Amino acid sequence: MSNSNKNILRGVILFSYVLVIALVIYGVAAIFSYLNTGADRSTMLHTEVEQIDQYLPQLQWSPLRNEGRPMDTENLKAIEEDYLDAWYVKHVAFMTNSMTGIDDFYTESARENIRNVISINSESNTVIEATTLAHHPTLEFFSEDGQIAVLTDHDVIEFKRIFTGEKLVAEVNEKSTYKVTLLLEDGFWRIRHLVRVKSEPYIPSASTISFNPEEIKGINYYPQATPWNMYGDNFDRTIIAEDFQVISDAQLNSIRVFVPYEDFGKSTVSEEKLDKLIQVLDVADSKGLKVLITLFDFYGDYSVLDWTLTQRHASTIINTLKTHNALLGWDIKNEPDLDFENRGKELVTAWLNKMITLVKSQDPDHPVTIGWSNAESAAILNEQLDFVSFHYYEKVEDLNERYTSLKSKVKNKPVVITEYGMSSYSGIWNPFGNSEEDQAEYHKAMQSIFSENDLPFMSWTLYDFSEIPKEVVGRLPWRQNAQKHFGFINEEGVKKPSFKHISTTEQPPSSHY
Amino acid sequence: MSYKSIYISIILAVLLVSGFSMKQDTKNSSYTLISTTSTYTAGDMVSLDFNFEGSADVFMYCSNSYGSVIIQPTVGNTLKFEIPKSITDKSGTINWELHATSKLSSGQILIQPKSEINKLETYIGPPSIEAGGTDYTMLVAIPTDELDNPLVDSTKVVVKHQFLDDHKDDDIYTKHGFTYKNLFSYEQTGRMLINSESLDLNSKEFDVNVVPAIPTNFTISADRIHNYADGNQITTFRTSVIKDRYNNTVSDGTFVSFIIINSDGNIEETSGATIDGIATAKLLHPDHEEQWAIKAYIEGMANSETINIKFEQAVTDFEVSFSDSNRMITVGPLQSFMDQYIPDGLRVVLTITKDGAIENQIIEQSVDGYVKFILNKDRYTKGQYDLKIEAAGITKSFENTSYE
Repeated sequence: MSNSNKNILRGVILFSYVLVIALVIYGVAAIFSYLNTGADRSTMLHTEVEQIDQYLPQLQWSPLRNEGRPMDTENLKAIEEDYLDAWYVKHVAFMTNSMTGIDDFYTESARENIRNVISINSESNTVIEATTLAHHPTLEFFSEDGQIAVLTDHDVIEFKRIFTGEKLVAEVNEKSTYKVTLLLEDGFWRIRHLVRVKSEPYIPSASTISFNPEEIKGINYYPQATPWNMYGDNFDRTIIAEDFQVISDAQLNSIRVFVPYEDFGKSTVSEEKLDKLIQVLDVADSKGLKVLITLFDFYGDYSVLDWTLTQRHASTIINTLKTHNALLGWDIKNEPDLDFENRGKELVTAWLNKMITLVKSQDPDHPVTIGWSNAESAAILNEQLDFVSFHYYEKVEDLNERYTSLKSKVKNKPVVITEYGMSSYSGIWNPFGNSEEDQAEYHKAMQSIFSENDLPFMSWTLYDFSEIPKEVVGRLPWRQNAQKHFGFINEEGVKKPSFKHISTTEQPPSSHY
Repeated sequence: MSYKSIYISIILAVLLVSGFSMKQDTKNSSYTLISTTSTYTAGDMVSLDFNFEGSADVFMYCSNSYGSVIIQPTVGNTLKFEIPKSITDKSGTINWELHATSKLSSGQILIQPKSEINKLETYIGPPSIEAGGTDYTMLVAIPTDELDNPLVDSTKVVVKHQFLDDHKDDDIYTKHGFTYKNLFSYEQTGRMLINSESLDLNSKEFDVNVVPAIPTNFTISADRIHNYADGNQITTFRTSVIKDRYNNTVSDGTFVSFIIINSDGNIEETSGATIDGIATAKLLHPDHEEQWAIKAYIEGMANSETINIKFEQAVTDFEVSFSDSNRMITVGPLQSFMDQYIPDGLRVVLTITKDGAIENQIIEQSVDGYVKFILNKDRYTKGQYDLKIEAAGITKSFENTSYE
């Protein structure tokens, strides 16, 4: 008995000894490494200020015709970067009511003005989330010694959301012109004077185009092996071509695909992924299919300071694809109404509104829509959109009523159902689920409603999938399993009974079925 | 009982009325701006008054060049919005919007800078320019008022400068909040003093150096105390006073390289920097008859003509004696042009060859007119050696010298 106690005591002493030694070694090492670190001398020169894309509003210099020293691209780029950073730190300052970062981009006397505004705002408990979406600077002057630059920034599009005590009280849109004097100090172009010479409320006016979607008979498309990861390493043009042949043989004429925001590289769009997207469009074109591109899949930030990055993302993609023959139109975002609860309806709507304006400014020729998750939300922003689209996973019987009520709200805007479908899953997680026959019945019934109302449609989806990423429906097995069985073709590649009703109430017998 | 019901009804009435007034909607209210002024001067008290009917539960959004604020009204017969001083202190456009749950009305106010100047910020650069009237320095002036706003455009700034006997004033006018003037150099070098003035406020004094332009071609000379190749005296090369094309002496420290090519085509280089326009450089005399071609360069800018100088042989002949069984070789006396013993340091080379292969080469310098070589027994064993002695360009050979 006492022997085993002794052993325990020994063990404890030994263990605590090891622990103490470990701590001492760790402590000495920490002190040693602390004493061995210090500011790198190169940091004095600001040569290695890390460049992360955090603020990328549209910026268009007018042709250089400045007075003073001729401008070179190197200096112009430095001025542009620091000038935009000055805007960025100012937005951050007013959002947090602190002076962080201001010192780097404003001269001593200019800082004072920002400090004054911050002190008023912190007193009244006001917080301002702001961004600028477009700048059109003209360089007026560059001094002979390269230390002073003066520019006029025309038509700066500003957007602000104003909060008092955490409550959103106002949203402000302004279009302003600024005269800016910048001095080169400590390697930074700092704002010395900022004078807003013109400013007016701004209502973005994106004119809609008339678009008749009546002919659309489509389907949402992911390859069977790589759902929600279409542009990864397993991208296979041949598989896509075969699938598109199946789609086109089934007398469908369009597909809806998704561009995941982060996967495509956020503000710096990956050329490789973009190239794969072009290939998808090329294949679609060769099979006579039109493609509705849904942007911003899996995007959920919406914060005002992030807007310029999303706009850069969108304009890169749009400018690459807008002349493609297979392009049907742009779906700004898939089911953004699902983010209303977490991000706030006002914020999401404001982001969508600005994004519609941007998309239309980059590509005025193709129609723009938003793929709302239900008919009730689908009237939001409809005035700005070229056609209204929504997703329908409710009862077949209710569709007519939902559609009519939406139609009355959106007046003359054409309406398209861009997702609908039924899972044919019944199994351990849902013993009372629908069978493949139920699914076929469902599609048949839907098709008859579509033809009665001349309602264009895009179904969900071509294939049953074996893997669903957790980002789509979460990890719960009953949801995952349901999501796996929405296809017209099962995992073995066999057409389910519903395939008969993929594009009409009844497929002609001559089809592949 | 009846009192009770009266009380209750009074309380109810009060509650109802207050309830209504609380709920009173801004949609049914109207707000009319009374203030008519839309242009102010920086620092003015600015307030916007509204006549209103209905709810006073409104606020004003207000933004200037630097930021935005929210203002709550003072409610009386009118709604009075006092715009904070730090907002109205800055020149530019102020945007205001009257909001309740949504925007009710909006407008702009223009704040002009004050007309009195408080500070004349002046920048000048580059600080030194080249003479000749093509290079220039630039003066940038930003006149500001006491609230640090740039003054209105077309404010006059006088740029004054003095150079030698010249004294000039130039009037320039601001545009985009600043103005600038290019001050061109003159043909002479010197220091230009500059200042600027606006609305009776003067800046401090600035100075800009007008430095000589690039040098023009020049001549060189060589000085030596005699023309014998004694390997001891020093030849000094000297340039003429180097000038730019406006006859200004080049800046001190202008670097001049002298390239010397000898009769074998080998190149030596020496260099010097100018003082008062003259650069000097030195080189040791050769130790044998030689001819030098010398040319000086200021790299990429100017050069001199080539000059030639000749060195005569100083040591015409010397004796070599062997002693200590040929193991001690004495060279000398080495005598110079007046038969004087040559100053220490003349290079003498002994080359020892055995069976056609060089065994060793020994280099010594003369001391008191002599050089002694001692050939060690262990190093140079018994046999026949060929010895060759070179000094001052003279070679003497001793073939088949035997060693025991």
